[in-house]
Amino acid sequence: MKMQLKRKLFQAIIYILLILLAIYTLAPLVFLFINSFKSNGEIVNSPTALPEKWSFCYIASAMKSINYFQSLGITFIVTVASVVLLVGVSSLCAWAMVRCKTRASTILFMCFTAAMLIPFQSVVYPLLNEFDMLGMKNIYGLVIMYGGFGLSMSVFLYHGFFKSVPVSLEEAAILEGANTLQLFFGVVFPLVKGITVTVVILNTMWIWNDYLLPFLVIGNENGIKTLTLELYFAKLTSGQYGNPWELIFPAVFITIIPIIVLYIFLQKYIIKGVSDGAVK
Amino acid sequence: MERYYKKRFWLLVAPAIILFTMVILIPFILGIIYSFTGWRGTYFAGGDHFWQAFVGFDNYVKAFKTSKFIVAFIYTFKFAMIAVVVINIVSLLMALMANSLNRGSGILRTIYFLPNLLGGLALGYIWAFIFEIVFSQILFGKTGFLSIPFLTNMTQNNTKSLFALAMLVTWQMAGYMMVIYTAGLNNIPTELTEASMIDGATLWQRFRYVMVPMLMPSFTIVFFLTLANCFKLLDQNVALTDGNFNTRMLALQILRTTRDTSPPNFGVAQAEAVIFFILIATITLIQVAITKKREVEL
Repeated sequence: MKMQLKRKLFQAIIYILLILLAIYTLAPLVFLFINSFKSNGEIVNSPTALPEKWSFCYIASAMKSINYFQSLGITFIVTVASVVLLVGVSSLCAWAMVRCKTRASTILFMCFTAAMLIPFQSVVYPLLNEFDMLGMKNIYGLVIMYGGFGLSMSVFLYHGFFKSVPVSLEEAAILEGANTLQLFFGVVFPLVKGITVTVVILNTMWIWNDYLLPFLVIGNENGIKTLTLELYFAKLTSGQYGNPWELIFPAVFITIIPIIVLYIFLQKYIIKGVSDGAVK
Repeated sequence: MERYYKKRFWLLVAPAIILFTMVILIPFILGIIYSFTGWRGTYFAGGDHFWQAFVGFDNYVKAFKTSKFIVAFIYTFKFAMIAVVVINIVSLLMALMANSLNRGSGILRTIYFLPNLLGGLALGYIWAFIFEIVFSQILFGKTGFLSIPFLTNMTQNNTKSLFALAMLVTWQMAGYMMVIYTAGLNNIPTELTEASMIDGATLWQRFRYVMVPMLMPSFTIVFFLTLANCFKLLDQNVALTDGNFNTRMLALQILRTTRDTSPPNFGVAQAEAVIFFILIATITLIQVAITKKREVEL
């Protein structure tokens, strides 16, 4: 009896600790939410209070100053294009490398894996130079760059997964006369849906939020900017006279809201995708 | 059948090779070469082509003589040590605690993971405000809830912002690492923990002699991710202090080197970038070698 009581008490303490941690995790986001409806003075004087009146005008002006719908669309297109490119290229490559056990294939795999150790900063300046020369220092070049930077990890994840896919199904399809692309997309690709989800999620997470590459590739020159880039410049240009919190809070709020909405619907897949990626 | 795949091998891997060569391989090799030249970004000091502008190890010597680089180097190390330890302890404790619950661990994990999905720059701005106003005035200021001078104005002091940065990064990454640890914990066969319980192992013994050895693959991944991400940290560094008060970390230092020098000395920046690569490669390889060796096979 005493044992059971002790156990219950122990459980209760753990619950309390974990709930406190959850509050700590969510607090900055709640804080962000309530301050998106306040004026600068109100934010600085009473940052933790609820807004006196829920006014959407700050959100509206933030939307205008970061060209919200345009930059949201651009970020969306860039992310989707990069992820589709990555999934297509890396799955084909990993499949070929697993099925064909030659020395070239082993060396190639080692090169891809080793490249995971190369930090972005070590290649970025020559990369920009190269793409400038090719006339691709633009949004298309950006997609290709994301394709290159995400490649190593994606190939690695697919490679680990293809090893456990039996070859017998493919043999049957080959004997029936399917061509290579039919074979891959009709037979093989559906079998690796699980890892595709992981690859998509892990890549979307960093490409969507990345600010540095768009900053260096697109910069401030023309009107095409991604969300994080707009946010950065909004803070930079209006920050000359103290911090414009009534712009930053709503701007940050509207940049993260699409992800939060997506997360609410897809959280099961996202968490599963991440933990699958870690086990392999 | 092997022949079927062999015949198509190069065709199937060609797109990946092209992408890899364009984005990683060529810039990487050029970067190493350029780090030995008087590269100025758009031209080479001393000639029209890079082979006319070799300067030997000058850029490397210059990099190590630049006090900002040395400061950033040390600061990055300090930060990575603090952050890696804190993130690991917090996330492992979170995973252990949540796993011992009968109900509710799923929703808690969902909440903890959320900050990881949001950008470091956007959230950095919010945390900058929290440190400046909420911490400094409302919570821990002189007239605040509880006066703790260390927790005030954290973004305006070199040492304090180290901890501010670690707090922010832990807040963002702990949920992710917890998910990995949880996956590892769920992979431990229940017979093992049950057997240790029957043998009368204490909670600590069960953790130390059953869970830790079985969790080694998770340690390998988590340490790799946290080490690499902390050494390469940039967005949060920009958002919190923007490198003021000597708080630049290496990633930011490399980017700002071209702005510090006039005309922009890309040769030195590239030398710093090569040193950065060697540093990260060495540290992560050593770490993976150490933790891999301790993984047990069942």
